[in-house]
Amino acid sequence: MLQVPPSTTPTAGSWRPVSLREAGLLMLIAFLATGVSWFLRSDGLSLTADPIGYELELAAPLIQVDPALALYDEGDYLFVDARPSLTDEFQTIPGAFFISEDSFDDDLLGYFDFMGPEDRFILFGDGNLLPISNIAARMKERGYENLFILKGGLAAWRAAGGEISMRTGDGS
Amino acid sequence: MKAILVLGCRLFVGGIFIYASLDKLVHPQAFAEAISHYRIVPYPLLHLCAHLLPVVEFVTGSALVLGIGRRGAALLACAMTLVFMVGITSALIRNLDISCGCFNTDGGHGVGFDLLWRDGILFLLCLPPLLAEDSGFGLERFFRK
Repeated sequence: MLQVPPSTTPTAGSWRPVSLREAGLLMLIAFLATGVSWFLRSDGLSLTADPIGYELELAAPLIQVDPALALYDEGDYLFVDARPSLTDEFQTIPGAFFISEDSFDDDLLGYFDFMGPEDRFILFGDGNLLPISNIAARMKERGYENLFILKGGLAAWRAAGGEISMRTGDGS
Repeated sequence: MKAILVLGCRLFVGGIFIYASLDKLVHPQAFAEAISHYRIVPYPLLHLCAHLLPVVEFVTGSALVLGIGRRGAALLACAMTLVFMVGITSALIRNLDISCGCFNTDGGHGVGFDLLWRDGILFLLCLPPLLAEDSGFGLERFFRK
């Protein structure tokens, strides 16, 4: 007797309830994982965005990496590493000063003998414009007017063949 | 034959989604900036999207690769791909010269018509795992009674 094998073609609409139920479950898992991930990350991004940072109304003009490299070679500009958090050992541009948002006043005071409002600066970070722009705005409040922000940050500098040096957290 | 097709689509699409999620998971701030360049997502939801989307991509991709919740994962993959296509089309209509933010947050591929083709193909590849009865050697068969 001829037996008909079970059909492997979907019946019309049979996939809908299953897929919707599974998709809901996966979204629930994703929401929970997102919450745990956000809670555990020490460098976590806040849940609410500051519109100012995304309107690209930067406190200082952007400079592309090629002209920045030329200015570095000329030595007329001081480079400021403005990354928000640096590990024990990290790469940076040789000769760069370190100013972070958290310790802005102390950092600026520490460099009192080495740089002043009359100097010209190129600020760089990890490519994220918001924290760098914030530091540029605070420097402008203190009278530092000649500021540029390096577009693409240290990654762009490295990719363009710019000099890189290793530094440790204690400044050596 | 159908099982092989479903398996191939599952592994390919799942792998793509897992790969696409990794850089975004590590750099949520940069991904938030990439999303903001599309000028579609309102600011109150921007960071939430930057947190949630890579995780949904990773969970969806993993479910597809493992073959657990295959149809739901395929449905989510279809939905995300459609959302990406709407975003890209919107950027193209408004002549936005931006990076797509698809696979990495550090520059990456600029938005263009080729991305629409790519996402269109990805959408089609999501359909076999969504519609087929056969799980394509997925692990979900072990969870059935």
